[in-house]
Amino acid sequence: MRLLVVEDDKMIREFLTRALAESGFRVDACAHGSEAEAMALEGVHDALVVDLTLPDMDGLELIQRLRAQGVASPVLILSARRSVDERVLGLERGGDDYMTKPFAVAELQARLRALLRRSTPGQSETTRLHVADLEIDLIRREARRGGLELQLTQQEFALLEYLCRNAGRVVTRAMVLDHVWKMRIDTSTNIVDVHIHRLRSKVDRESERPLIRTIRGVGYLLQD
Amino acid sequence: MRSTAVFAAASAAVFLVMYIMVARTIRERGDSWLVGESETLRQVALNTPRDAFYERIVEEVAELASQEVSWDSGGQHVEGNTVFFAQIGNPSDPPVWVGPHDSSHFLDALRHSNIPQRSPVSLRVDGWGEPFRVVALDMSPGKSRVYLGLLDLGAAHLLRQLLARFFLGWMFMVAFGFLVTLLGLRRMLKRVDAITGAAASIRTDDLGTRVPVGHQQDEVARLARTFNNMLDRISASVNQLRTLTDSVAHDLKSPITSVRGSLEIALSLDDREQSSELVAKAIDHLDRLSEAITTSLDVAEGEGGALRLRREPVDLSNLVQRVADLYAPAFSDRHQRLNISATDPALIAADLSLCTRMLSNLMENELRYAGTGAWISIEAHAQDGHATITVIDNGPGFAEDMLPRVFQRFVKGPASEGHGLGLAFVSAVAVAHGGRAAARNRPEGGAQIIVELPLSTLQAEQRQPAEIFVASP
Repeated sequence: MRLLVVEDDKMIREFLTRALAESGFRVDACAHGSEAEAMALEGVHDALVVDLTLPDMDGLELIQRLRAQGVASPVLILSARRSVDERVLGLERGGDDYMTKPFAVAELQARLRALLRRSTPGQSETTRLHVADLEIDLIRREARRGGLELQLTQQEFALLEYLCRNAGRVVTRAMVLDHVWKMRIDTSTNIVDVHIHRLRSKVDRESERPLIRTIRGVGYLLQD
Repeated sequence: MRSTAVFAAASAAVFLVMYIMVARTIRERGDSWLVGESETLRQVALNTPRDAFYERIVEEVAELASQEVSWDSGGQHVEGNTVFFAQIGNPSDPPVWVGPHDSSHFLDALRHSNIPQRSPVSLRVDGWGEPFRVVALDMSPGKSRVYLGLLDLGAAHLLRQLLARFFLGWMFMVAFGFLVTLLGLRRMLKRVDAITGAAASIRTDDLGTRVPVGHQQDEVARLARTFNNMLDRISASVNQLRTLTDSVAHDLKSPITSVRGSLEIALSLDDREQSSELVAKAIDHLDRLSEAITTSLDVAEGEGGALRLRREPVDLSNLVQRVADLYAPAFSDRHQRLNISATDPALIAADLSLCTRMLSNLMENELRYAGTGAWISIEAHAQDGHATITVIDNGPGFAEDMLPRVFQRFVKGPASEGHGLGLAFVSAVAVAHGGRAAARNRPEGGAQIIVELPLSTLQAEQRQPAEIFVASP
């Protein structure tokens, strides 16, 4: 997977390049909109990470230009503005995503993967999820661990489903709130921890192989 | 100064025009007399046979005529008026002369001049200060010409006097105007100087100085008042900024110190497990710091009325329910009983993200301060054009001295581990939506917080169930 990072801040550009390269992406980076336009038009990038404030043009303008010229790769927008721009939302509804600074690298990676998955068609909707001896029936909304049915509340089930769908990948608190509770609260509170703790007490209590792990400073990981 | 010059020039021009008009009127009067009289004299000269008495008769007539013009403004005889009559014919005939004794000067002047018939011209004569007005007429049979001249010294005198008075009056007016302008300007500039002085003495570390306003109601007084109002506003902003920076310095320096410390220790540790623990802690701290900065800016913008809202239809009751669902396990972990009563839809046009954070802050506040084992009731309903959220608990309530300031930034109780932004944010969001937040201690014990937000017009008009806007759970 090849990415194009358009970010004028040198420090952020460099750490993004490094972090994304470490997670297995090929990364091209540039600071200017015009440069980015030329690079993106080569059509070799699977996704773009675009900062909104560029020295020579607005990030949204860049995206509009690329779209007008047939570049269809998904775009993840980075914004330092606190309140989310109406236009950004419009763009997001078109299938892309945005993040406000400061953000966790893990969240960026996770959102990028989600974008790339969305843009790769052909995945059939599954009705069952498996991780180790954990089994989830999405239709009957039942979860079993080692054959034993887990007594989960609706919220706990939704949380477990989200973790299973992202098995092997770190999800951040903000992502959990966003996807499970449909709330975008930048929260440093431990409210998600409370839910994870409860879920873990039901999923991992009886087992010697804990599946749900907390990655300090980042989020959570469900992994065999 | 320039206006004075313009005034002087304009008044001089007016005076000049008046003078020219008066002078012309006077001259025309003299000229018409000259023309009429010269005609009479010509007739007399024509009809009188040129005998020994001819000269005497013409002289008599001219003498009589000259007496007619001996008028002045008061009807008095004016000695200065001089009239002459001359008839000049062939060089062989001696000219007929009636007038002053130095006739040769006159005759020279007349001979050297070329005066048209019947239209008076000015003629200078040696020995006379003023020019004469002279009219000429040809006698038809002979080649001789008659001349009649008039020096109206009275009129000349009058004109000169008029000019002098005009000039004096003009000088006085200009001088007076100049003086008045100068004095007024100096007084005005003195007051402007006072403002300049006050403004120059104002520095950011001393905004107490004010400009003297005085009792006048003019532009300078208005300038002074506006200036003082501006100083009041700047002073208020600076004070606010000072409070903010003090709090920021205090509230942000400690977390930065601890982050730095954690990272420093992590750097020096050889044990990877231990060092990553410290790094993770540092990241936690940074997250909290970043959130505090965002919230602090939001609250500051809300207070300044600059918080941008992205309004959409929000059912506040439904939102309360959803946020409460999120927090329910946390409440039960602390053995707190949470009672939610939010069934009637309360539709508001609001920023969903801000409202969610506001409710989350209210919940966090209860979680932290209501105390273990407390009961908490959160109620949402629509009434009298407002959607009202009422939060009550049976916890310790607010400290009395804190109560008037609970919605201010950086105001926090002694037990607080936060930045004192939670309730400030609640209030800022309520105010930004045109509502308000109020807090009190209940007489029976515990705290009460009420948040009011204006209902959207949709709900005010028709109490429709708002299912269409209820987001999926």
